[in-house]
Amino acid sequence: MRLKELVAKEWEEVFKIRLVLFSSLFMPLLLAGLAAYLVWQGRNLPQEAIGAQVALFNTALMYFMVLPVMIPVTIAVYSIVGEKEQGTLEPLLATPISDWELFLGKALAAILPALALTWGVFGLFLAAVWVMLGGVPGMVLSAPWLLSLLLLSPLLALLGVLVTMLVSSRTTDPRAAYQFSGLAVVPALVPLIVYSARQAAVNLFLVGLEGGLLLAVDLAAFWLAVRLFRREEILTRWK
Amino acid sequence: MIRTQGLTRRFGDLVAVEDLSLEVREGEIVALLGPNGAGKTTTVRMLAALLAPTGGQAQVAGFDVAREPQAVRRHVGVLTETPGLYRRLSAWRNLEFFARLYGVRDPRPNIERYLVLLGLWERRGDPVGTLSKGMRQKLALARALLHEPAVLLLDEPTSGLDPESARSVREFIQELAGERRAVLLCTHNLPEAERLCSRIALLKTRLIALGNPEELKGQLFGTKVLVKLANPKPDFLQGISLPFVKEARLEGPTLAMRVEEPERHNPILIRRLVELGAEIQYVTQEERTLEDVYLELVEGEDEA
Repeated sequence: MRLKELVAKEWEEVFKIRLVLFSSLFMPLLLAGLAAYLVWQGRNLPQEAIGAQVALFNTALMYFMVLPVMIPVTIAVYSIVGEKEQGTLEPLLATPISDWELFLGKALAAILPALALTWGVFGLFLAAVWVMLGGVPGMVLSAPWLLSLLLLSPLLALLGVLVTMLVSSRTTDPRAAYQFSGLAVVPALVPLIVYSARQAAVNLFLVGLEGGLLLAVDLAAFWLAVRLFRREEILTRWK
Repeated sequence: MIRTQGLTRRFGDLVAVEDLSLEVREGEIVALLGPNGAGKTTTVRMLAALLAPTGGQAQVAGFDVAREPQAVRRHVGVLTETPGLYRRLSAWRNLEFFARLYGVRDPRPNIERYLVLLGLWERRGDPVGTLSKGMRQKLALARALLHEPAVLLLDEPTSGLDPESARSVREFIQELAGERRAVLLCTHNLPEAERLCSRIALLKTRLIALGNPEELKGQLFGTKVLVKLANPKPDFLQGISLPFVKEARLEGPTLAMRVEEPERHNPILIRRLVELGAEIQYVTQEERTLEDVYLELVEGEDEA
């Protein structure tokens, strides 16, 4: 009940900020459009240019890996820094809401739209590719791609939120929090970038490797964030 | 309703509140006074179960702040130093959100009641960011009441309000105490504390005085009687060296004295002065304010 109320309030509040709304709606559509364009560009490349085609397709996939990080970071930054700016943390903590409910509420309010939008625009992307090419290339509708979307997206979204929580607790400037939080996820995408540079197709090994790496980083960030998300910490240490 | 025993809070080596023993009864308004950094906010935070005490005990509305923090929060209404409202949400939505966090199943009747009582009903749909500072303060007060708490912890409730709004808030607080709630009021507004509160707790890390304003004034300054004379003479001082007269001195045309019990001793004193040939123009009692008490105690504590 309290969790649901908190999530609803978060959405109601942060989506009134134009930048958040813009980043959450326009950017996914733009990136999905760009991804579709990349697939369209690589549609009929000759066999000797297969490496270029792989790089284009990998880049398209990378756009969908950026979204689950970018969207929750934007929401979480304004959600946490917004509480600090408005001085609402203390009244919020004075209610019977538990530390866990508060933590989960903030996290879910950022993660759920990110996943819904990522998967939603991926669906639009598939539809666009199907319309443009009369079908979806096997490399796109493949197990590594779908696993990336289903497995890596939630892990990336969680990482984005956790890092944002850690960074936002130490700043009152949403822009600074946004920049730091966004940068934190770059290492998690390095394997995909390397694969694209080597023109090697995304495969299950890479997805597993990234998944393992993200899980480890998520667990470490989760441990830190939970320690930080205690009433006393929030009241006395958050600047 | 509120009972603390040896309540202490340390932050590392820093002692914010030390050995605070205090009781606020049902229907009582007690002011918590003290300079900045005296531990008032820390005390309120401990009583609201936001910070755990590092020593001593506190019971609020019958629940232990350390062992039953959730229960304490359900029964306490807190007005924080700043209103702390969501600026993009409407006044109504702010109240609805907090009411639901407090577990109020149908918050509408109470939201309506307090918005009307505090004169905010017409602005209920407006974003909080468009409300004046005074309106926001009143809205924050309404928020503290939505779950009908037995205990209210109010930090500077009239801060930043115009005189008319401040008066209406003060009257409202008095009504709340009339509803048998216990109110602990942190304020720097000494006349307000004197007007509203039955007792004053003066805090400077530890409790340095507790009592009703008149008691505190009496304990600290005794009662000073001023007698204005048409013919002041130094001889009068010798003539009134009576056992109950202390610190008599002539200040221009006025004879200033401390007496133990003015109601009993003033008639004797006046008779004596008339016998000595004094021409008395009027007799009055020196008014000490709570500010005098406050400054005396706080400065005395500094010197100690």
